Amino acid sequence: MLKIDKLHVRTGDAEILHGLTLTVNAGEVHAIMGPNGSGKSTLAQAIAGHEDYAVTGGRIEFLGRDIGELDPEERAREGLFLGFQYPVEIPGVNNAYLLKTALNAQRKQAGKEEIDAYEFLKLAKEKMALLGMDPKFLNRGVNEGFSGGEKKRNEILQMAVLEPKLAILDETDSGLDIDALKTVAQGVNALRSPERAIVLVTHYQRLLDYITPDYVHVLSGGRIVHSGDKSLATELEDRGYDWVVATAGA
Amino acid sequence: MNALDIDRLRAYVDGLPNSGLDETRRRAVAALAASGLPSTHDESFKYTDLAEIGALSSAWLERPARPAIVAPTRQRIEALTAKTDIDWLVIANGDPNPALAHSPVAGIAIERLSEAADPRPVLEPLTALNAALLEEGLIVTVAASPERPLGLLVIDDAHDRPGLSQLRVDIEVTAGQSLEFVEYYVSTGDEPHYSNALLRLNLGEGCTLRHLRLQNRAIRHSQTQRLDVALARDAAFTSASFDLGGRLTRNDLNVDLRGAGSQAEIAGLYVSGDGQHIDNHTRIDHRTGPTRSGQEYRGILFGRSRAVWNGKAVVHEGADGTNAEQANHNLLLSEKAEIDTKPELEIHAEDVRCAHGTTIGQLDETALFYLRSRGIDADDARRLMMRAFATRILQASPVDAAKPKLEALLDARLATLD
Repeated sequence: MLKIDKLHVRTGDAEILHGLTLTVNAGEVHAIMGPNGSGKSTLAQAIAGHEDYAVTGGRIEFLGRDIGELDPEERAREGLFLGFQYPVEIPGVNNAYLLKTALNAQRKQAGKEEIDAYEFLKLAKEKMALLGMDPKFLNRGVNEGFSGGEKKRNEILQMAVLEPKLAILDETDSGLDIDALKTVAQGVNALRSPERAIVLVTHYQRLLDYITPDYVHVLSGGRIVHSGDKSLATELEDRGYDWVVATAGA
Repeated sequence: MNALDIDRLRAYVDGLPNSGLDETRRRAVAALAASGLPSTHDESFKYTDLAEIGALSSAWLERPARPAIVAPTRQRIEALTAKTDIDWLVIANGDPNPALAHSPVAGIAIERLSEAADPRPVLEPLTALNAALLEEGLIVTVAASPERPLGLLVIDDAHDRPGLSQLRVDIEVTAGQSLEFVEYYVSTGDEPHYSNALLRLNLGEGCTLRHLRLQNRAIRHSQTQRLDVALARDAAFTSASFDLGGRLTRNDLNVDLRGAGSQAEIAGLYVSGDGQHIDNHTRIDHRTGPTRSGQEYRGILFGRSRAVWNGKAVVHEGADGTNAEQANHNLLLSEKAEIDTKPELEIHAEDVRCAHGTTIGQLDETALFYLRSRGIDADDARRLMMRAFATRILQASPVDAAKPKLEALLDARLATLD
């Protein structure tokens, strides 16, 4: 599904990722953990194709294709989804309009007809119910005046409607209270399937109490320095990051 | 002084058929002979050069295109006004006869300006030019609130040769009545054209006027327009103005809050692309208190284009309890585009609340990336952001019957920008 090989990424004057390698297969859930400033968000942004994150070495393969030259919208239409750490408020762009336009862009790419208004509304409301979202959010501006938790739910709603092949969720747990966290986790779990892969980028282990990962990686200093199964997350929670980083550096 | 040939103007005016406007015309020519057209040395025309308008007018006067060019066909008018539930009065190439021939609308009387006891000219340079050359104007009296909005469809064409047209409409809304009023300006043709308009809206006590102005002229066609609005006690004026087309556009909107409890909310959007110049000057006079006014204009500028916004509120002595707000926000999307923005407050009273703010910015890159990461093309994402920027003004547009038309025109305009 996703094959990252010796990836180097530069933003501004600084190289943040120094030869990161990671393979994610269909059906798997990976957690990428690491201390602040280790390059987690840079990795997420680079995979999604943000122009400010320049790939200066290595490659990113998605579904067997090098996506380094693809625009963010092309990557999205191929089935890549990035859940933002800080979802953007866009007053004046209707939430439902964005959802429908995004869904239709993807359907068009897949050679399908545009979804009709009735079917779309039915789909959106069904997914919102799953996430405990009030349907009135559909008619608001994108994330406009949403609380932190509402914004994160809105990200998961977009993911649920778009049904991507690969979802990268950047710090989706930050700013959520425990009930919101459970709801979001439930939304993510509902999307787990043998055809889909999910990458959770997180600083804390608590999200992993509700979404059990198949693999856990520690990102530090721009590289994956340690990988393990879900027990690694618990160990990191108990012992912090210093020991992994020290071991890797040795 | 700008190059307006006064001798040619006088000769042309002398040759016009006699009418009730003769005396007004003579006074207007005399006023123009003394003043000329405004130049960029005049403070209020500092950024807007009328030289090409003076030259075009002089050239037209040398070889005037009278009688008026072929009237627009019924099909064309129907296409322009489709899906609007509005009573449209048509003025074609400066000729108000189609409007005068409109079937009667209950509560509304339409009369000829030339038959009025006093044509009430405004003898400032541009409106004096209007008074000098005008052959007929309309006086509309609203005695009872009409069922449907009243529309003014102004069509000017310049296909074979340059064109010049004058427009004058006065609307009187009697006390306690309400009106929805739409101005819609369109034109076609590759030759230059200049339209010069004076409109006056007089609102009696407790009147409500909801107003939409929509300008979508051809790219070589220019327009100057003065709109004077006077409000008696407890009258309310809500207005939104959209400038999408045209070469040089100059709007002077003057709102006179004469009566206590009167209020005005004015909004405007200008979309200016290559070769366009759009100038909005507003002036709101708070003559008594309590009165309130709010103005918000937004601009989207592309290519080699220029826009001017000068919003003024004057709070006169004794107008205590005045509330005046002004805002102007601009998206400057080209290095060759220029915006000159200036809010002005002149306060001669106590107990006044005034606020103003202006911004000039670009599209938010983070938001663009967010939209693109959802599969939306970069161009579509930009248009979506522009549309979002315009939304506040669209929402402020007070005539619901014209909303689908307005949105379609705006979307079509934004689709042509790159």
